[in-house]
Amino acid sequence: MKKYAIIADSTSDLSTDLLKEYDIDYARMGFVVDEQEHPAALEWDEVSPAEYYNMMRAGKKIRTLQVSAETFKEKFNEYLDKDMDILYIGCSSALSGSVNLGSIIARDIMETNPEAKIICIDSLISSLGQGHLVLTAAKMRREGKTIEEVAEYIESIKLTVNQFGTVETMEYLKRAGRIKASKAFFGNLFGIKPIIISDVIGQNFAVKKVKGTYNSKLEIARMVADVVINPEEQTLYISHADSIEDAHILRDEILKLVTFKDVYINYIGPIVGASTGPGTIIAYCVGKEVTIEGKE
Amino acid sequence: MQFAEIDGLLLKTMLTAGFVNLQKNISVIDSLNVFPVPDGDTGTNMSLTLEGGLKALSSSDMNTSDVDNCLQIFARGSLMGARGNSGVILSQFIKGIAMFAKGLDTFSIENFSAALSSGTLKAYSAVIKPTEGTMLTVMRETSSYAKENHGKYNDFTLFFTEIVAVMKKSLQHTPELLPVLKEAGVVDSGGAGLLCIFEGMLQALTGDSVTDITLEFDAPRRPGTIDSPNTTFNRYSVLEYGYCTEFILQLMDAKVDIDNFEIKTIIGFLETLGDSIVAIKDEDLIKVHVHTFNPGEVINYCQRFGEFVTIKIENMSVQHNESSLDVKPRRKYAVVAVCSGDGLKDYFGSIGVDYVIDGGQTQNPPMEAFVKAYNSLNAEHIFVLPNNSNILLVALQSAENYTDSVIHVVPTKSIAEGYSALSMMDLTSDTADEVIADMLYAVSNVSTALVTTAVRDTVYNGMEIKKDNYIGLDKDTIYSCSPNKIDAAISLLSKIEDIEDKQVLTLFYGENATEEEVEQLFDHVNTAYPLMETAAIYGGQNIYDFIMAIE
Repeated sequence: MKKYAIIADSTSDLSTDLLKEYDIDYARMGFVVDEQEHPAALEWDEVSPAEYYNMMRAGKKIRTLQVSAETFKEKFNEYLDKDMDILYIGCSSALSGSVNLGSIIARDIMETNPEAKIICIDSLISSLGQGHLVLTAAKMRREGKTIEEVAEYIESIKLTVNQFGTVETMEYLKRAGRIKASKAFFGNLFGIKPIIISDVIGQNFAVKKVKGTYNSKLEIARMVADVVINPEEQTLYISHADSIEDAHILRDEILKLVTFKDVYINYIGPIVGASTGPGTIIAYCVGKEVTIEGKE
Repeated sequence: MQFAEIDGLLLKTMLTAGFVNLQKNISVIDSLNVFPVPDGDTGTNMSLTLEGGLKALSSSDMNTSDVDNCLQIFARGSLMGARGNSGVILSQFIKGIAMFAKGLDTFSIENFSAALSSGTLKAYSAVIKPTEGTMLTVMRETSSYAKENHGKYNDFTLFFTEIVAVMKKSLQHTPELLPVLKEAGVVDSGGAGLLCIFEGMLQALTGDSVTDITLEFDAPRRPGTIDSPNTTFNRYSVLEYGYCTEFILQLMDAKVDIDNFEIKTIIGFLETLGDSIVAIKDEDLIKVHVHTFNPGEVINYCQRFGEFVTIKIENMSVQHNESSLDVKPRRKYAVVAVCSGDGLKDYFGSIGVDYVIDGGQTQNPPMEAFVKAYNSLNAEHIFVLPNNSNILLVALQSAENYTDSVIHVVPTKSIAEGYSALSMMDLTSDTADEVIADMLYAVSNVSTALVTTAVRDTVYNGMEIKKDNYIGLDKDTIYSCSPNKIDAAISLLSKIEDIEDKQVLTLFYGENATEEEVEQLFDHVNTAYPLMETAAIYGGQNIYDFIMAIE
């Protein structure tokens, strides 16, 4: 069997340790601040999470860039040159054009090089939800599963990854155009927290409103408990935009209702963070298949 | 000039002109961008895509005098430069054209038409879920026109003129195909970008200088930022702001000496009639934007110099999507609330109240006011928030006697309760019962705290109250009294039973309270109840200095 690389991108929000441990590579997106482009590194080697989110708190505008064609070519060729196949699990196509571009580059390469095999998967989710799919793929690779088996499995389970998040303010998401919200969210509503899910086409959807920050965590805990399947066999994922205390409170509230095998908490990376804003917390678990499609 | 064929050199010139024209219009196109992700970068992305292609051409040492070589290099560079969805789609369109051009030295009109079709196919295949009403539609309709009509042309200049016209029409139609565009009041940004490119290419053929007045689209109303009060302009209204009047005037030789006509003439006249004036002359076109109470006079005056290409006149007191001429379609839900104070009325309007009835403590509106509200709304279900226990009854009566809509009175007994109900209201719910359940749940969690001045000396529950002192009360019981407004509020808050469990305090301050007083009070609240989030909104009500909703 041919070896294959597993490639994520900058929205998968996995820590350096996990990327190394499971031999996962990722294609860098970028962010632009003060007209300066920076690679969106999950290693946080250029800026620390605190520096990054404090910059946003101070009002700096950050723009994000999808994975460039050049980056895809280099990344794909790097592994093709090692005679490996490639499985790319990209950020939801409703949030980033990366997976679309990646597929085009892959098709181009395969047209001229019939030996090459690149499979691109639209994860329909981001942050640790995407991270979970990537990790799952890497674990299956360890078990000796073929690239086709892994790709097929990931496609079949991707909508069972549920996201429940809340943000300090919807302004960032609205400004970045990365939220669908019903008219229930219009106007200046103080103290109202949206509960944001990833819907069936991978867009963020404000599905519910809750009054008060603490109540929003209680609601997320209830929603996790409601959809989760076999929690004792799975990891609860929580990602946060520089608000570890909130992440801990959320974890504790969820664990009061449901027992998970373990809990993995990590920072929301620079790309997702740029469009959700500091203070965002998101829980991910595997459960009932997502069927909601967000409408305005 | 006439061209029967296009070779690589001419194509390169055309592509460059297309890029230049796109560049000129980047900011307009960026501002149109609402789909799929309204991040305002379509123009930038498309421009970077073309730039990639042109850079590749200029750095290549291959002979690009034939369209094949020229396009292969251009397509490759475009893909490398492509950013964003629009950039990727554009690059694939170019790629498809390049694929067809394989082996060709020059394009005939027939070849070029076929190449457009090939580009369109490729562009569609680049998108996982193709959406109509986007750049794709513009490509498809344009190439299909070219395919069917290329036989009529033997000159590329004429052919391109026609193609651009078709493209424009297709673009104007995009809001009909994609509701998100219609809602935002824009045409598709990617389609607009494509049009700019083709217009530029046409200008390279005609030898015209590239102008930037041809793109006339409104800036979009961004979703989530239009929340002005939903007031309807009716026979009781006052024309507060006048009309936003915009037009493009074609100067006519028969009416005026175009070359020597000075825009100052028009500006001088406009200044006597309005403000926010923008007037520009671009060769033989005049574009005017003015806010005026007398649009007729403006139009009459300007017609002396030419004829109108487009005219738009909008009453600025009316929301754009709610033209006063339209009969309001019957809708499922509408909301009526009673309150007083200019700030409160505006704010309630901004969070979902369709009709505000003026009233409150000591000022109870008559039943007719409710009926008038119901009549104007034309909804299946109308939710009514009386916001005062004295008004509840008349609201209930009005509901009993009304038959054209189902009236649901939500028994809110204070502005605080009304606010809380509104803030948790979700009119996307399927049934009226669900809407009411959400509101009642919110009301059950809110405590009302009010601060006002005592109107006379009295003793209440053993508390001595002096006239003009400040008293703190909930809906019906007085809990505190002090010569100091802030102290009265602080003492009142401390008496709320479950204040330690509350998370959000929303304060509406009245016309007799100041921002400084709010700040003092919030300083105290933030220290005494560190978990409480606080927000202040100007209510402008006259009796209560502070109305607090504590949830």
